[in-house]
Parts: sequence; structure tokens; C-alpha cells
Amino acid sequence: MKMKRRSFLKACGVMTGYAVLSMNIATEAIASVMSFVGLRQKSVYAADANSKIYKYRKSQNNPMIAKIYNKKNGFLHDGPCGHKSHELLHTHYIDRSAKLSALKGKGYKFNF
Amino acid sequence: MRLIEGVMYRNYAPPKGADPDRITFVMVDEDKCQGCGACDEVCATGAIQSINDDGIHRIVDPVACMNCGQCLTNCPYGAISEGVSFVDELFEKLKDPDTVVVSMPAPSVRYGLGECFGAATGTYVGGKMHAALRKLGFNYIWDTEFAADLTIMEEGTELIHRVKEQGQKDARPLPQFTSCCPGWIKFAETYYPDLMPNLSSCKSPIGMLGPLCKTYGAKETGTSPKKIYTVSIMPCIAKKYEGIRPELTDSGFSDIDATINTRELAYMIKAAGIDFNNLPDEDPDPVLGESTGAATIFGNSGGVMEAALRLAYEELSGEKLKNPEIKVVRTHEGINTADIKVPNFGVVKVAVASGLKNAAKLCDEVRAGKSPYHFIEIMTCPGGCVNGGGQPLDPEIQASLFRSTVAQINKRFRVRKIKA
Repeated sequence: MKMKRRSFLKACGVMTGYAVLSMNIATEAIASVMSFVGLRQKSVYAADANSKIYKYRKSQNNPMIAKIYNKKNGFLHDGPCGHKSHELLHTHYIDRSAKLSALKGKGYKFNF
Repeated sequence: MRLIEGVMYRNYAPPKGADPDRITFVMVDEDKCQGCGACDEVCATGAIQSINDDGIHRIVDPVACMNCGQCLTNCPYGAISEGVSFVDELFEKLKDPDTVVVSMPAPSVRYGLGECFGAATGTYVGGKMHAALRKLGFNYIWDTEFAADLTIMEEGTELIHRVKEQGQKDARPLPQFTSCCPGWIKFAETYYPDLMPNLSSCKSPIGMLGPLCKTYGAKETGTSPKKIYTVSIMPCIAKKYEGIRPELTDSGFSDIDATINTRELAYMIKAAGIDFNNLPDEDPDPVLGESTGAATIFGNSGGVMEAALRLAYEELSGEKLKNPEIKVVRTHEGINTADIKVPNFGVVKVAVASGLKNAAKLCDEVRAGKSPYHFIEIMTCPGGCVNGGGQPLDPEIQASLFRSTVAQINKRFRVRKIKA
């Protein structure tokens, strides 16, 4: 099929339009993710406020929390941040910056 | 390799004692990469980079990658895959009569799982999720949400201690950072190690539930802890890294034996032939199963903060908080700050950051000694765990062939420009 000058120009215009539009493709993708995320967030807050799903809304009111911290015979009877808690529920952190510096030394660039 | 809910997975379960820093959790298929740069846009650390003139991307080194998987969920070509999957090992354990398999699903899983079975975005399927876990053969349906409540008790108490000890010798510094998000924790350890004293010493909810299953749970159910195999079910890829941290062995065993994400759970339910949509709503098993609304909002950015404030307000003021909704800290994107007036105490200054680029701004403030806050919550994934790298994909991103074609045309233009 032979293309006329006019239709060729029209096709060029359309293609330029697409090319310009797509400059924002990544931004567009992120924007659509946020609305998608918004729906999930909304559902989370709805469940929190729904007494048929969650009878209690504060952690300290959870009867199983009261049981585990029970001062007489609870598993964590010395309370939050107590001795047993520190043994099982708390941790320490590890400086990983040297590994990153080694990479930077090889010439790689990162954002921070 | 195996396709699971639109994402390719390598069938690789790291052996005990493996160094998590050497494992690739997120990887790029260079044949599928079209160099569109969508991953670049969403990567906070710059770990995913263009490696040649065609713009083909690669994760330069696992050390620089926080394993958040935002590149994966935003790639329009499905070119990014997961390097670790415990699915096969887990199927074996579920069959083994000598192993007591414990499920530990995170809050956000119940807001994403339904999407894999045709439900609308965000549909709550908590009851069906518990029923499905029982059908799959899990011996105990315990829940990370219970541990989220426990985290609030521990982390809230730690905050109150830190506030009270200011001015004393050896006082721990303020602000206190939350420690629930594994991407953020690795980020702090790698890029801001000088701020480690500001991190809450509390493990994340799953980090707490793992050892509790093998101590308290074992005791309550009369099970030998040796037989217990704990399965963390997360909306997250970075939790796979956290699960194999060598220091998490406080129960005397590995605290977390396997970690899968929402997509993998959906795959397992489908592979087992379970009719998910017609399951009844079931409750988790008691003792380590019951939870509150404060626990479920951990899935949203600002949720840990709101849940902690529901405790801190009552502890500090000695009064009851009538309306538990503290909407000012709820965060969709960016940085959110608030002054919470607490009677009989004063003002608690808080900040919530969604995404690591925003986290870095708050970290720089703390580093400069200019941070006015008491408590800072950070979530690596924009919007929080509900948008985690292990959640079902947004169909919009891959569905539009038209947009992919446009990106390809655009790429050719760019390549030409580089060569000219």
C-alpha cells in the first residue's frame, strides 16, 4: 500500500504523541499503584473499625496479651521489656556499612 | 524456575546458616528487561542500575539491595523475579507426620490474598485464609497479628522508658525508630549505622512470634519444640532475608524456619485444589492467635504509630482513650508529622515516613541532631505492607500491552539518541 504524504504526516503526529505521552510512563505507573494501594488501605481501616472482625481495638485489651503478661503465672510475668522479653523478643543490630563501602570502592554508585 | 501469580520464582530454599547478605532475593531476567527504567524510578537505594547502552538493568549486588521488591511489582514486563522460595520444602513438611507445622500470617496477607481468587482489590479474607491454612495441613493456625499486639506492648513500653530516662546517664537516644519493617532495618544497618542506637531493640512481630511458638506455644500445646516448623507468611520479600538472620535463634532453634509471601500462599492453595471462595470463615487457634484492630493496621503506613499511640496515650495520661482512631498519623505517601497532646504528660511528637527516600530525609535530620520527634515510624514500601513486594501484582501495570509497546518505541528513540 502506497502512503500519501498527508497520511504519512498524520502517522508521524500520532507516533510523536505516543512517544511524548510515554515519557511519563513510570510516573503514571506509580500513580496507578497508589490508587490500588489506597483501596487496600481503606479495607484495613474498615476491618479495624468493624466489631464483627475485631472485638478489641487496642493491643492492651487483647485477652491473650493479658494472659501472657499475667503477673502471677504469665509466660512473660515480669511484664513488657522485662527479663524474659529481653531474652526472646528483643534483638541487636549489625553494622553492614563496610560491605557497602567495599562496593563503592569498586566504583559503584548508590544513592546514599 | 516456576511462575507464581505472575512472578517467576527460583526453587531455592537457603540451607540453615546461610549468609543472607550473599543471597539474591530479587533478580532481573536480562532477556525480558526492556530498559524502560520503571524499576530505577522506584528503587530508593539505586541498587538496580542500567548496565549497558541498551539500558538493561541488573541488581548490582545484594548488599546494596533492601529486598523490598518495589522494582518487581512495578516492572511492566515481568522481568524481575524472586530468588528464594520455600514452597517445595513447605509442601514436604506439611506431608511429614513428624513435623508440627505452624502458620504465622502477617496482617496484610488477608487484604491481598483474595485478589488471587478474583476478589476486588483489598477485599478482607482473614477468615477464609485461616480456613485455607487448616485445609493445607498446618497443625497450628497462629497469627502474626497476635505478635503485633505484643510488639505494641514491648515497643510502646520501650518508648515510655526512653522518654523518662532522658537527662540521665546512659539514656538511650530519642527519637526511637520502629523496627517492624525488614527493608528499613537493613537500610539503617547499611546506610545509617550510626543511628542504630535509635532503633527500637524490639524484634518485628514475626521475629517475636517465631521464638514464642517454640517456647510458649510448645509449652501450652505440649509439643516438643524440636518438631515445630514455623512458617512466616508475609506480604514481603525482605522478610525472607529477616527469616534467615543468624541471630534469630533465641528459642534455642532457628526461630523462623520458612518464609513465603502472599503470592506463594495463593499458589499453594490453588496447587492443593482448595476451593478458596467457598471456604467458611474460621478463627485462628487461641493463645497465639487472637488479635485486635491495633494489630491489623500494622499493614498500613502509619499503622504501627497509631497502634502504639493507642497504648502510649493511656499509659502516659492514666486516662482511657475514648476514640481509638488517631487519623492524623495515617499515611498514604510521603512524610507525615503530628503533635499528639497527651493529658497529664504533654506533647508527643511523631513522624511517619512511607518509602526509603522519605526515610532518608528523617534520618539526615536525626544525624544532624535537629530531629524534634520522640517516635518515628518507617515503612519501606510506599503506603505500607499492603503494598509490599510479596503482594499480588497490580493488574494495571502488566495488562496494558499498548503501554508496553509505547515504551518499546520510546526505548528505540533513546537508544538512537545515545548512539548519535
